[in-house]
Amino acid sequence: MALRKTSYPEEELVASLKRNDRKSFEYLYDSYSAALYSVVHKIVREDEKAEDVMQDVFLKIWRYMASYNPEKGRLFTWMLNIARNTAIDAIRTENSRPALDDIDVAMDRAEAVANYQPSINTLDLRDLVEKLKPERKLLVDLVYFQGYTQEEAAQKLSIPLGTVKSRIRTALQDLKIFFAA
Amino acid sequence: MNTIEYINSGILEEYLLGTASPQEKQEVECMSKIYPEIKTELTQLEIALEQYAQLQPKTPPVHLKDKIFAQMQFAEPAAPEQELPEEKEDQTEAKQIDFRPVVTKSTPLWSQISVAASVLLAVVAGWSVWQLSQYKSQTQQLTAEVATAKQNANYSEALTAMYQSPDNKVIRLKGVEKSPESAVVAFWNQKTREVTLNVQSLPTLAADKQYQLWAIVGGKPVDMGMLDKDFAKKIIKMKIADGGAAAFAITVEKDGGSPTPTLDDMMVMGAAI
Repeated sequence: MALRKTSYPEEELVASLKRNDRKSFEYLYDSYSAALYSVVHKIVREDEKAEDVMQDVFLKIWRYMASYNPEKGRLFTWMLNIARNTAIDAIRTENSRPALDDIDVAMDRAEAVANYQPSINTLDLRDLVEKLKPERKLLVDLVYFQGYTQEEAAQKLSIPLGTVKSRIRTALQDLKIFFAA
Repeated sequence: MNTIEYINSGILEEYLLGTASPQEKQEVECMSKIYPEIKTELTQLEIALEQYAQLQPKTPPVHLKDKIFAQMQFAEPAAPEQELPEEKEDQTEAKQIDFRPVVTKSTPLWSQISVAASVLLAVVAGWSVWQLSQYKSQTQQLTAEVATAKQNANYSEALTAMYQSPDNKVIRLKGVEKSPESAVVAFWNQKTREVTLNVQSLPTLAADKQYQLWAIVGGKPVDMGMLDKDFAKKIIKMKIADGGAAAFAITVEKDGGSPTPTLDDMMVMGAAI
């Protein structure tokens, strides 16, 4: 996938997506659906519902592609926002937001993810998990990928909002350095 | 304003999170256009998050892709639609049942556009009628104020002409965090490069202060001249801007202007690209 990506730079991909070209949408789906589905699934927690939401998400991406402005941010950031917001809307309309797990459970899950990955990603992720302190990783996951507000995360974890903000900031800086290396 | 301080303030993270206020969003978008180092930082953070997300994939069920793509219409003519009218029994019928709800469910783009267009037309028409009636009653009743009205009309006409000119690029300079109400429109003639301003709202200044316009060229501010002290309801001619100007900003400076802008006293800005 990494090789294919270098041959398909983001500007070209966006240009052909905006031309509503079928192949580019297939490429988009093949490249990003697993990352987006993972976010959706973490929020809605049920297979069947996650599939429905994922369908909505991808159709929204297709429908609103004309309004995506690359100057305002990368394609994935835009798609991630659509995925997160659609999933949050789905559980809020149902009025049954799943309770936040204990920190322990969430940490176990992070560990499990680290151990479960059978691909070449395993090395990367283990390496990353070691570098990212668990409490920071947990916050990034909660806030960026599961749609908790910083305030909600602070409340649930009983830590000050300022700490949440600074931990997220440090974690992102760690991620930045990790992926730049 | 110091870009390192700005980057360290945590506002970029809030922007990526979606928790930044609309004002802050506007500000980040402008700042990242003006300062390449802010844009670079933002892009690096985005890439980091993207890679991180890609490290935790969950593959959706295989059938989902076909289900989704069956609801999308693409630029090239789709072959499956031609198969639909064929009247075959058994297997094709089963397939058609799968297809039908899908076809009715997705509203074609042209119909969405036409609905949007007719709503827009109705709004514009309603607004025009309302506007017209306002003008009529005004001219009948306020004969004493004809002179002022004329002046206003001239001003609106001139302003409309600025908006309508195909040579003009219209750039909205929006208020930054500390002066959210401020708004200025810049017209940048793409042939003559001449910049003209129309102040919609700016706070009144003390007598020893004056507003100054800047163009950001290659990350550096370039003086574009002073705004008239009496700037309300005027179309103000400024200097000619370099073709590479990325943004325009207005700062509060001492009477007569400064050689370099006081960025802390920036009131509005807008990207030219």
